[in-house]
Amino acid sequence: MGKAPPITNRVKLHRMLAGGITQADLADAVGVTRHTIIAIEQGHYSPSLETAFRIARLFGVGVEDVFGWEG
Amino acid sequence: MISDLSFREKSAWAMGALSLAITILYLIDVQPISWRTGSAPPVDRDFIKITIAAIVGSIIVQSILAAGNPKDADAPADERERLVLARAGSVSGFVLAFGCVAALLNYLVHPNGNLLFHGILLSLLFSTVAESALQIFFFRRDA
Repeated sequence: MGKAPPITNRVKLHRMLAGGITQADLADAVGVTRHTIIAIEQGHYSPSLETAFRIARLFGVGVEDVFGWEG
Repeated sequence: MISDLSFREKSAWAMGALSLAITILYLIDVQPISWRTGSAPPVDRDFIKITIAAIVGSIIVQSILAAGNPKDADAPADERERLVLARAGSVSGFVLAFGCVAALLNYLVHPNGNLLFHGILLSLLFSTVAESALQIFFFRRDA
């Protein structure tokens, strides 16, 4: 929250690679709202570790394939 | 624009508008109040009317919102929303505490029970408005 967190993500790219999963479908699958997925994709919000794992598992990749540290 | 808002953000806007209206009505009702001289109108029936209006208004607003978004209304707040709600609640709690302490300190100078009552109730109303405003701010900032 507040200043953009130094965590990058490729959620949008993985959604496209996975056949165009919508933000709403992804949100339902990982148990958050569509607005939270939007905030994650835009880099305004860093998800919890649990949600990060859920997202990565849904795409069938590791957490570090989806999220990175910009430091 | 409105359809782009999450259920909790819509709820924050609606409750913010309602609590702001109630606060303005209450301020108009207790207009002769003076913190400097310690004079305040007695707590009358208008207060009860305003309280009932606030409760009924909240129920109606939440019912309309829930009817329009039944799925979202049933779902618990997610991790980001919980963070926003907690943060807004924390600051609004500070507003309430500050107002109550100020009203109590004022009571030491002007021992008027009506003034104390109005002071504490206004603190509650201001904290409610602040909570909704902060929720909207945090939701918008992170959107």
